[in-house]
Amino acid sequence: MRILKIHPEKCTGCLRCELACSYVQTGQYQPAKSVIRVSPFEGHTSYAPYTCTQCAEGWCMTACPVGAITISAVGAKDVLDDRCVGCKLCTIACPYGTMFYDPSTRKAFKCNLCGGTPACADACPTAAITYEEAETADWLGDFARERTARVLAEAR
Amino acid sequence: MARRHLIIGGGTAGMNAIRTIREEEAERSTITLVSAEKPYSRMVLPYYLDRSIAESHVYTATARVLADWGVTTHVGKRAAALDTQKNLCTLDDGATVEYDDCLIATGSSAVRAPVPGAEGPGVHSFWTLDQARGVLAAIQPGCHVVMVGAGFIAFTILNSILALGAKLTIVEVAPRILPRMIDDAGARLVQTWLEDHGVAVRTGAKLVRIDEAKGRRRLKMAAGGDLAADVVIMATGIRTNLGWLKDSAIKVNQGIVVDDHLRSSVPNVYAAGDIAEGRDMISGTNAVHAIEPTAQEHGRVVGANMAGKNVRYRGSLIINIVEVCHLDVASFGAWDDAKAETMSGVKADRPAYRKLLWRGDRLTGAIILGPSSDIWTTNDVGMLKGLVQSGVALGRWKAHLKKNPFDIKPAFIAMKATSSLLPETILGRPSKAPGESPVAV
Repeated sequence: MRILKIHPEKCTGCLRCELACSYVQTGQYQPAKSVIRVSPFEGHTSYAPYTCTQCAEGWCMTACPVGAITISAVGAKDVLDDRCVGCKLCTIACPYGTMFYDPSTRKAFKCNLCGGTPACADACPTAAITYEEAETADWLGDFARERTARVLAEAR
Repeated sequence: MARRHLIIGGGTAGMNAIRTIREEEAERSTITLVSAEKPYSRMVLPYYLDRSIAESHVYTATARVLADWGVTTHVGKRAAALDTQKNLCTLDDGATVEYDDCLIATGSSAVRAPVPGAEGPGVHSFWTLDQARGVLAAIQPGCHVVMVGAGFIAFTILNSILALGAKLTIVEVAPRILPRMIDDAGARLVQTWLEDHGVAVRTGAKLVRIDEAKGRRRLKMAAGGDLAADVVIMATGIRTNLGWLKDSAIKVNQGIVVDDHLRSSVPNVYAAGDIAEGRDMISGTNAVHAIEPTAQEHGRVVGANMAGKNVRYRGSLIINIVEVCHLDVASFGAWDDAKAETMSGVKADRPAYRKLLWRGDRLTGAIILGPSSDIWTTNDVGMLKGLVQSGVALGRWKAHLKKNPFDIKPAFIAMKATSSLLPETILGRPSKAPGESPVAV
């Protein structure tokens, strides 16, 4: 299956992925409605985008009481708007924090790989997000561990 | 002869078991379902109550879907007795069903406060679809609804009652609201939020009896003045449906005691969902977790084991979330563990509260309150669940979170919670899509 591979060391923090995602997903240039989210590290000296890994369990999908989350033709866990009632069970079942809820529509939403042409990957000017055949993985862990030493030093 | 599975109860646990048997079995078995009601999802009844979905949307399997799954159904019937020597279940109409293995998933029922008038006209429970129909028919715009009980079930329908245009008063006998979901500080914040949104809340309020007065209900209170109501909803707890098993050989404590494969004391009889007393993931001891996600996971594990797989269950995690007037309220795991080390924080500029509970440097429970329009509330709900579920050792991040309890994401990412979580599946394989839904779309 093709998935979103994140190369955090290439991310410049330009946020074009968030803009592109929100536009394709909702028709609005509104990063608040993006399902890929860029986090700053080490006092905004480096950045990395974070989104759904399309995990094997699909905690969101199995938790849904009305079968409103399914697996799309490209293998993404995808919310069916006309079945979702907005009960939020998926938001609490997903252990990665990559489910979203829109209070205006009362629906859950998430990364669905844009049906096979992910806008975030297209928009990324540095190829920090690529859409390719790969096993999903923890793309950010090592990167973030190296870049949080300062914040942890302050915690002492 | 094909193996004969008997599923007693058509709720979340039972339906997940049926679907998983069909996904996992090597040879086609026969499945018989005994269910007092047509299968539906209790979780979505609040959305039926506020008329945002049609009644057809609540069903989890229609007669046609059950027929497609090859299930023989006894819908509208209850199991009356189980003979575990003869492997025979007797139904309330006298019919009998023989089985090779059996799942008991008969769930729980709403309980009303034991006061005079509690069973009278104008007094409702909100638990079954039929009861939801009754409440929906009773509430008119402008009427006064009194909710007796301020637990999770009550809170799932507050938004719906307000959306129907009713005025709402909540009375709770305990000194605070949501006594089994959040702590004192969280409850105070939620109560203030509700009062700011026009909901009257009376805590420490004991109901003595309910009388009829000129077509309305009069709630006699022990102190603080009586209440007049057009509709009374009793959300005063639930009780497991165990009574019919009293003459069986199955070991029962708070629920049916099950092992790590969800087998009862009788090896070919499983239990799942509200009625099962299984392993709690955090404490490692047995407990009844009467919540939807536990019923779903239990049902799938039982289905796989009935189909001949050997699936060990790691235990269930208490997770609850409810939204009231656009405020998210959630708790996880051992949120009320008196022996845990705790840290908490509030935001001055918005109704946001966090409480983190620790054993050593591992998170074992959490409470989180925040505006549902705040994306970080939703994302942190998930990541906190991931940290509790994975039990990742957070090391020095613990000190950071003590100062900054809202800064969950860097800790989650840098301690590689994702690496711990990715290999984890309930059935030891990737989940399958739910398939054709009976919902008319």
